[in-house]
Amino acid sequence: MIRQTSLFLGYELRFLLRNPVWPLFGIMQPVLYLLFFAPLLGKTTASGSMPEVLAMFTPGSMMMIALFGSLFAGFGMINETRNGVLERLAVSPAWPPAIILGRVAKDMLVLVIQAILVMGVAILMGLRIGLPEFLIMLLLMAVTGLFAASLSYGLALAIKDENGVSQLVQFFAMPLTLIAGLFLPVSLGPDWLQTLARFNPLYYGVEAGRSLFRGDLGDSTIPIAFALLIGLALITLVWSMRSLRRLAA
Amino acid sequence: MIIEAHGLRKTFHAKRGRGKTEEVEAVRGIDLEVQKGEIFAALGPNGAGKTTTVRMLATFIAPTAGTARVAGFDVVKEAAKVRENIGYVSQAGGVDENNPGIEQLLLAGRIAGLSKKQAQARADELLAAFSLTEIARRPARTLSGGQKRRFSIALGLVTAPPLVFLDEPTTGLDPQNRANLWDEVRALRDRGTSVLLTTHYLDEADALCDRLVIIDHGTVVAEGTPSSLKKEVAGDVVTLRLKGVDDAAEVLRAQSYVKEVRTEEGLLRAYLDDGEHGLPHLLRVLEERDLTLESISLDRATLDDVFLRHTGRSLRDAA
Repeated sequence: MIRQTSLFLGYELRFLLRNPVWPLFGIMQPVLYLLFFAPLLGKTTASGSMPEVLAMFTPGSMMMIALFGSLFAGFGMINETRNGVLERLAVSPAWPPAIILGRVAKDMLVLVIQAILVMGVAILMGLRIGLPEFLIMLLLMAVTGLFAASLSYGLALAIKDENGVSQLVQFFAMPLTLIAGLFLPVSLGPDWLQTLARFNPLYYGVEAGRSLFRGDLGDSTIPIAFALLIGLALITLVWSMRSLRRLAA
Repeated sequence: MIIEAHGLRKTFHAKRGRGKTEEVEAVRGIDLEVQKGEIFAALGPNGAGKTTTVRMLATFIAPTAGTARVAGFDVVKEAAKVRENIGYVSQAGGVDENNPGIEQLLLAGRIAGLSKKQAQARADELLAAFSLTEIARRPARTLSGGQKRRFSIALGLVTAPPLVFLDEPTTGLDPQNRANLWDEVRALRDRGTSVLLTTHYLDEADALCDRLVIIDHGTVVAEGTPSSLKKEVAGDVVTLRLKGVDDAAEVLRAQSYVKEVRTEEGLLRAYLDDGEHGLPHLLRVLEERDLTLESISLDRATLDDVFLRHTGRSLRDAA
């Protein structure tokens, strides 16, 4: 099982190494936000200092790559539902879950590397973060990627239509972004918005990130975020694997 | 016997609007027997149920009724065993456009349990056999249709299966590439691989396969070798274009050397065992009745005549 998954992962990674440019474009958006939007946020934090602003804003900008990058991971698979690739793999001796797991593992890895680069930029701009927090943040990103990518493959295999999937992802991405307080903490907003945010798994991801960047390892949002994202990731993984199995019929 | 199918049926429930479903009987009871080491064709118009039949045999979909054993294993109860023993090349090809063919061959080998070395050796072997070595490292999207088709067949053969399914292997290829592919399929048989292919090309079935079934509306309408099937119809066909088709048909049906007569609008087909000798007689009889011909041709009977005889229509019109 692990062998099969790593075979598919290796295949995907070799593709990535031949075309290493595309994931770099993915981090342009958060980096631009860090450079040109974060400086506007001086008034939203207590001291208004750059490190404090960055500690508030960087986690949100990292979630952005997950939302606008990993959520589109399934796109490539839509074409494979038509060109016979998945069909061929389905009757091959491959362990079926490995077909999805290998890809999801690649997407997690890409997201973690993107996260390292974005945090690197933030650190260059003045962000201060300890090593344990840094590593836990990467783990959080990996789990977020696991969820976002599995959801994307699930959608791709269920809908099998590029137009449908892109519309649907956009439809969900925007409100999820706003209600998660991706750009500004929802704690600045009215009660109803804060209540609404509690139903958004992404909110916990962003808040957990902010706690980590503040050095507040004991904050309850961190375990909640991990539990929620892992739980959702498992559900979407199972869903996408089932869709893959149904594809043949 | 590498394939043995009895009474295969497949009924799909297609959604038609809200809450309504329509039953589509794609395959309505097909019996098939494919011998080891032969090229076997399923010939029929588009929508006849060829692909559905192959998909049942390749364990994609479970039959609604009937049983089939492929390479000695039951397609429902021992699907995994069947998969280990078949190669399947779909109509769509199954080539990943974004990656080079060699990568795909290596992955296919590794997931089938080969070591890195074995997978590399097998890939090299297949690349050489299908003249793909030079383009092995190019992304598949940059390849021509014929090259991609060769890759898709190579991918189906990575595990060196005793049986390979080729679903419409030459659809969309130019005549040169088709002829080359036929040679490659024959080479497969010569190496001992059994081949089941589907096609809607008459000449392909005729030139390539050892035995075939003709499938129409989900049932087998004829089975045999190309030559025996054609012989059943007659050796030759005389096609006449004339006014008074019905009169001519009546006259010709009374002639002892005419086996069968079929008519369409303004067109008459007379089946003769020996066209060269029958034709002068036939012309004389028509002349005696003052039936004037517009045109005439004498051809060897084809599988289309077989199809026509069993289904009442020409395969060329059936699609």
